[in-house]
Amino acid sequence: MSQPQTINVTDLDIAQLSEVRKQLEDELNHLTNSFAQLKQAQAKFKACLENVKEVKPENKNKTILVPLTNSLYVPGKLSDPEHVIVDVGTGYYVKKTRPQAVKHYTDKVEYIRKNVDSLEDTIQKKRDNMNYLTNILQQKIQAETQNGPSARSQ
Amino acid sequence: MSLQAKLQQASSEFQNLQADLSKVIEARQRLEAQLSENELVKKEFATLAPENTVYKLIGPVLVKQDQAEAKSNVDTRLDFIRSEIRRVEGQIKEIESKQEKKKAELAQIQTALQQASSSTPPSAPITV
Repeated sequence: MSQPQTINVTDLDIAQLSEVRKQLEDELNHLTNSFAQLKQAQAKFKACLENVKEVKPENKNKTILVPLTNSLYVPGKLSDPEHVIVDVGTGYYVKKTRPQAVKHYTDKVEYIRKNVDSLEDTIQKKRDNMNYLTNILQQKIQAETQNGPSARSQ
Repeated sequence: MSLQAKLQQASSEFQNLQADLSKVIEARQRLEAQLSENELVKKEFATLAPENTVYKLIGPVLVKQDQAEAKSNVDTRLDFIRSEIRRVEGQIKEIESKQEKKKAELAQIQTALQQASSSTPPSAPITV
């Protein structure tokens, strides 16, 4: 399990190769999960951005429905179209002006985009490794079945 | 046979260590996530103007809070998380070194077992 990192994969036998493959598979799964989560978060922030744009002076004093729960709404009026309160994380909320809020959300989207990009790179690299490993594994299995189980290909 | 029992005991101890290790590593990851979230909040607070009121979510209620108080609150939280991370890293190292020792012990028992099985005639079968 604790093979040195510089070991040549062609030197490993089938059992070890499938072990490494399994590890890679786990890593890849974890990374794609994170990727999906990041995408989700990004979509959420983009939705916030859209919504902030609706809080504009033209909509002042218009009646809106305020959700109290998922299924209960009360009518309300938009009295202050200039300020919104933004969740900045860990239970803190900050009152911001509209442009500030827009900037906040654009920054967030950008921040996540950077992370998504670097994650995409990592996933691609892992996939390449995985394909390479699978190829070698298949070659080994083929060689094994052709030469009989006793003959190990060097 | 006693070698077998020893092997079994050592391997179960090894497995316990592995479970412990994955538990503390999970804790370490959680702390890391908290750390980065709090750092983001700190960064956010640093850009605030005086007219940006800060609210804290307590249960379902937003409560107005002093900016300076919120800032110092996040700072103490960051300090706490960092010291927790140091503590957990210490635990990880400790468990890892224990694991290494166990591994060596396991290898020793295994070679002893192999020697025993190769020196004894096949009339005494060892069931694994």
